Amino acid sequence: MSEPTADQLRRRALALFGRSLHIRTVDTGSCAVCESEIRLLSAPPYDLHRLGFFLTPAPRHADLLLVTGPAVRAMDNALLKAYEATPDPKAVVAVGACALGGIYEEDGLVHGALDRVLPIDVYIPGCPPSPLALLQGLLVAVGRLEERVAALSFDLVAEAER
Amino acid sequence: MAYWFLRGLGHGIVTTRYPKAIDVWTQTLPTPPAFHSDRLTLALADRLVAVCPSRALAREADELVVDLGACTACGRCIDEGRGAVEASGVFELASTSRERLVKRVRIGGGAG
Amino acid sequence: MTARTQTQKLPAAFAQVAPGVSAAQIDSAQLGAITHELADVHRARLADLFASESEQGAVVLRAVYAHDTESRYLVLECPVSGPLFPALSDLDPAAFVEECEIYEQFAIRPDSVKPLNRMLMPPHAEESFPRLGRRPRPPLKDVHARHVVAGEAFEFPFGPVRAAGWESLYMGLVTTGEEVLDLYLAHWHKHRGIERRLAGLESERALFFTERMDGLNAVGNGLALCRAIESAAGATVPTAAAHTRSIALELERIYNHAAAIAATCQTTGLSVGQARAEIVLERLLRLNAAAFGHRYLFDVLAPGGVRRAPDTAAIREQLPGACAEFRRVVQALLRTNSHVDRLETTGVLTREQAERLSLVGPLARASGCTIDSRADHPFAPYDQLELAPAVGEGGDVLARMKVMVAEVAASERLVLDQLGDAGPGRIDVSPRSAAALGWAESPRGEALVWVAFDSRGSIERARLRPAAVRNWRAFDDAARAQNVFTDIPIIEASFWLTVAGFAR
Repeated sequence: MSEPTADQLRRRALALFGRSLHIRTVDTGSCAVCESEIRLLSAPPYDLHRLGFFLTPAPRHADLLLVTGPAVRAMDNALLKAYEATPDPKAVVAVGACALGGIYEEDGLVHGALDRVLPIDVYIPGCPPSPLALLQGLLVAVGRLEERVAALSFDLVAEAER
Repeated sequence: MAYWFLRGLGHGIVTTRYPKAIDVWTQTLPTPPAFHSDRLTLALADRLVAVCPSRALAREADELVVDLGACTACGRCIDEGRGAVEASGVFELASTSRERLVKRVRIGGGAG
Repeated sequence: MTARTQTQKLPAAFAQVAPGVSAAQIDSAQLGAITHELADVHRARLADLFASESEQGAVVLRAVYAHDTESRYLVLECPVSGPLFPALSDLDPAAFVEECEIYEQFAIRPDSVKPLNRMLMPPHAEESFPRLGRRPRPPLKDVHARHVVAGEAFEFPFGPVRAAGWESLYMGLVTTGEEVLDLYLAHWHKHRGIERRLAGLESERALFFTERMDGLNAVGNGLALCRAIESAAGATVPTAAAHTRSIALELERIYNHAAAIAATCQTTGLSVGQARAEIVLERLLRLNAAAFGHRYLFDVLAPGGVRRAPDTAAIREQLPGACAEFRRVVQALLRTNSHVDRLETTGVLTREQAERLSLVGPLARASGCTIDSRADHPFAPYDQLELAPAVGEGGDVLARMKVMVAEVAASERLVLDQLGDAGPGRIDVSPRSAAALGWAESPRGEALVWVAFDSRGSIERARLRPAAVRNWRAFDDAARAQNVFTDIPIIEASFWLTVAGFAR
């Protein structure tokens, strides 16, 4: 059986999570600023509820794990328990430069990147990613928005030539 | 309790219309760098790699490898490479693939 | 400026090493008597206690005492040979957490019969786990006294994974059902070994990590590091840059206090209050982005000055409105009895408890302690500014909230008054073979950094002591005594510390 295409994955995500998504957050050692931006998702300026997203305190109710931090090894146990307690189908979203391997190099205390511990469905860069960047990442995770970054080259000469 | 209700009504709607529209204030957000590849020299590229505190830049032969995932948008490479490097203005960086967050920019300005 | 009392002769050969800092080298036989005298006779407060180990394996203990009325920090250096060092915590409970930390990192014990607690090393930490020191040591057990009160009490484990937007933190609530008899905190889930990572780095990179260690206090902790670096280099930052730094620090204070008020509303269940406070918080974060290019004021500071000047027009335009809205929200909160009822007499910390544990910041001030390093240990531009530390009384959650509200008003004034003087400015600083202490009043209290440079100009040892390191130890005192489960989150919101700042 061939690998699913990006489009197929997107349609599957949309079918599963498109209308209502419950999110469980896990902090694997962040500096607390990503947490501050995540808290603001439910505040009036962003109001994630209008998009059908909900924050839940129980992994059992969750469809998606929103994970911050560089995967401190001391959190492995708790992180894996949260992951296993979340029923399938589920998605895992890595939030911030720490979780994406940017700040901390791997050593005896930290893994350094979340994808060394869990399979990641969406990566959200930023330090911290603002609530809008988080919303974009969540909408990508549920298949309601296309990724933008794939088509960008960050080479201004190449962009001008297009 | 009536105070809260009335005050809220008086304040109006403060919610963003994202993704239908992007708020103007986002122009003040820090964003990863974009490069004028024709002004990037090998010497400048090496200085940019040295100044990046989160290992988001690397040089491989005549390509500058830009890891958007590791980038914290701290702006040190923009300060170091003014004229050749500027803020991209892109904050919608989410990706389903870690590899797609690693960009390669041709160093087109010569040795420098 | 505070009135100065007659200076008593200090018990050891202290010499001034930098403005506002004196140091003395003593041997371990003298440590107990000297620290006793500093605390008792001179009323100095223990600000930090830490150790360093040289390449050759020589261990040095350093104790930093703050003589607030004399505007001076006193640094005691004491070499330690052998596995024991004189225990300070038998007489001064404020030293206990640090003694446990020193044992975990350096394998030297305080010579006391008291068992030590686990602080930062996880239970499964093996010998090879990265530590600051080199000697092997037997692992620490967690110390939890068994409670039996009118039937069996049990430890209810909560965390480390908690509600959305709350940092990972384990709480063991000792309870017979509803009342909280005791409370154990475990912060080791977030220990990243930042002090170890700073060794070998040069100043610029060290600042990058320090800001991102405890991001909500990026300016507070970062400024303490910058000032330590500048002090080691004997350098003075340009005046305009000093004003820019102060503006950033006060903006950081304002948004953090607004966030604390919002969190307090969340914990009392007043959703509408939380929503309104979060609207203000969002306005303040956007102001930070407009003024300094980052919502949380990262990458503003530099060793030797600042990386950028603020957009003063944006601050002038946006700050008064945001602070006025904040005041309206607070007035409404104080008129909402269902909310105020939950705050009054909750989580009380007496002045005596705050002094005994050497607490800092709004937490200490709400309990009646007049302690604020901007006024007690002033540096440019605070030595020129009109400062009036907000001191409360009662030490309950409501008192802390009122102190924070008063501080927002004071900080707004400090920012607006300095806008005309702020500007860019940065000088080269490259300290070599030097060590120094730096400090700043972060939103959560006095943040200290002690840094030592080697002959090549790289960091040999950096000691980071955010305010959270001092203040978390008071949490179980505040949580005990007639508080119930549902009070615990309210108390945590009123402390508004960070786990990241303690765990580093």
